[in-house]
Amino acid sequence: MSSKTTFIGAVEIGTSKVTALVGEYTGREIVIIGCGECASRGVIKGSVVDYRAATDCTHTALELAERDANERVDHVYLAQSGGHLEGFYNEASVNVKAADNMIEADDIRTVCELAKAKDLPLGRMVVHHIRRPFRVDGRLVPTSPENLVGQKLEVGYWTVHGQEQRLADNIHVIRGFNLEVRELVLSSLASGHMVTTLEERQNGVLAIDIGAGTTDFVLYRNGAPHTTGVVAVGGGHFTNDLSIGLRLTEPQAEKLKLRFGRAVVQARDKNDKVWLDGNFSIGDRQFPRQAIESITSARAWELMEVVKRRLGNAFSADTCAGGVILTGGSAKLPALAECAAKVFGAPARLGEAPSWVNENLRDPGYHTALGILYYGVSAQGERAAASRRKGGFLSSVTRLFAQT
Amino acid sequence: MSKDASVLSESRSWRDIPQQVRPRAMSGEGRRRLVMGVVRVMAGCGALALVGWAVWQMAAVMGENTAAMPEEAKSDRVKSLVLVTDGVLDKNWLARTLAIPADATLMGLDLDKMRRKVMEDPQVSSVSVLRSFPDTLTVRISERSPIVRMMAQSAGSAPEMMFVSRDGVAFRGTGFDPAMVASLPWVDGIKLERRGTSIAPVDGMAAVANLVSTARLEAEGLYRTWQVISLARLANDGQIEVHTREGMKVIFGTKEDYLRQIARLDLLIDSDKDPTRPIREVNLALGSQVPVTYGTAAPTLGAQAFVPVTTGSPKPMIAFPSISTPSIDPHREL
Repeated sequence: MSSKTTFIGAVEIGTSKVTALVGEYTGREIVIIGCGECASRGVIKGSVVDYRAATDCTHTALELAERDANERVDHVYLAQSGGHLEGFYNEASVNVKAADNMIEADDIRTVCELAKAKDLPLGRMVVHHIRRPFRVDGRLVPTSPENLVGQKLEVGYWTVHGQEQRLADNIHVIRGFNLEVRELVLSSLASGHMVTTLEERQNGVLAIDIGAGTTDFVLYRNGAPHTTGVVAVGGGHFTNDLSIGLRLTEPQAEKLKLRFGRAVVQARDKNDKVWLDGNFSIGDRQFPRQAIESITSARAWELMEVVKRRLGNAFSADTCAGGVILTGGSAKLPALAECAAKVFGAPARLGEAPSWVNENLRDPGYHTALGILYYGVSAQGERAAASRRKGGFLSSVTRLFAQT
Repeated sequence: MSKDASVLSESRSWRDIPQQVRPRAMSGEGRRRLVMGVVRVMAGCGALALVGWAVWQMAAVMGENTAAMPEEAKSDRVKSLVLVTDGVLDKNWLARTLAIPADATLMGLDLDKMRRKVMEDPQVSSVSVLRSFPDTLTVRISERSPIVRMMAQSAGSAPEMMFVSRDGVAFRGTGFDPAMVASLPWVDGIKLERRGTSIAPVDGMAAVANLVSTARLEAEGLYRTWQVISLARLANDGQIEVHTREGMKVIFGTKEDYLRQIARLDLLIDSDKDPTRPIREVNLALGSQVPVTYGTAAPTLGAQAFVPVTTGSPKPMIAFPSISTPSIDPHREL
């Protein structure tokens, strides 16, 4: 085994299930060597409400993943979702200092610090600062503007922040397993990166991750995340609507949703009925198919409308050539892509994992965990590159001269 | 919420959240991982320390390497032998045992072989052999002390006296004072087994050694009369029989404190001054009830006067009060 091999853990504490993945990163490629899954308890709408129950199921998933991998991980990358997450945009600009108007690293650092320096309300903490492309005298610069010539340098940050206590609860659940949380990763960024291609992100694409308790979305423009958001509505609400509308228990409603739910009403005949169980058991009864489809489609339509409203002017079919890509466990609801296409007025489809992902992990419910693992690999690579740069002989000599 | 309260001076990141949790908030597996982590760190430190010690030892061995020594040091002959002992063996015995050739050099000696030669004498219990540069060989030994003596005879050879130490090892003994040897009681009732060229250790000598040392220390007058110590009933009954020069047999029990039994014996002998009825046997192995067997002055008319406990006879059967050990001064003259 190479000495550079590291074992990366990725954990998603979802409302319906907890997923833990262990990846072996050799410095060039990632191989998923362990997977653990456990039905979630003590988590509502992405937030921990019962520490002991959430701890038990998360630790079970981690144990299963480590046992499957036959390796031990010392730190993990953790998915973060929940209705408490919010975002805002802030930008700043500086005049280039150099006499020849050539942008230096100092200018870039100053404008970035200014753009990120915005006070948060009490009890809120920054989860991510997502940088949008630089602009030099109004000219869009997707990469670093260093050494370009201009008078004014501008940059904007989409800052995602969340409630301190809820973030701490998630972290402490992992720490209870004596594991370090290396990075919190926004669920929408993780799953969005998995189901979109570089070209789609460049052209503009909206990724919507519909989980059981929350719906996370990310809008990409110019190759980078432009806007993110979380709606505290998920697949569980479809089930709840059916349960109330048809007077069923939650498990019965869940069963009906999975078997007959649709995001667009297809049934035309009101007399077309379906059996709850279909096995002639006591308590089995019939329900109009059209009623089921009407309930689920109404909720699906509403959910898409809410997402569109939250995006506001940021989304338009013209600037989002990649269309809408759906992912998450609840995105498997039939005709949901059709519903999304109608609401957003853009092409929509169900997202697929990249080809390197194993067959048993290609279900949309795993996209977030896979995305976190991918994020972990990227972070690991950047960390290694940074340490190489930091530890280089030339940099040491440079630092020595700088000090003298 | 007021405007002032809702504004902070600087934004905080999730990294500001302390990740430490109390062990109580951890799951069983988490606590196990925590303990294993600590153990791993300690094991790592231990391994490092071990490697450091090994390197230090290697350096020490390399320092003693004969190849690295000057030729003068290698050619120095052994001029003196130094014996450090806690017993009676002397330098002549050491010279005889080691039989070092006259032209032997200090570095040419095989110390392990020297050590084996010294250990061949069972009187020696442990030995260390050191080179003391430039020309001295130092031997430190620890010797066995004799507890009892015995006569042993091998097939085809004359009987010879041997000593037995506390750990049961039988040895011929060299350099002991004849007066001390004469004061040692003989041992009887044991079965000797040959193991190779020597005799296998005798069982039960620890109990005898405790009895003898207690008697020698606390009642030397009584001890001087002891002639034979029999271990015939030690294994089965846990009793040691002592035969005195006056023909008295004293039975000691190994389960009770020897000091208490000797105190009772001393008191019994002191209280009995009747010359017409000498004591023939005292059984101290039955606790506070001590059966005493008397004889008569005329050897031909010796009659036993053993009376059972129930008779309540004051003379033949003496009941001692229970003596607690702390009330007895261990150094008193009995």
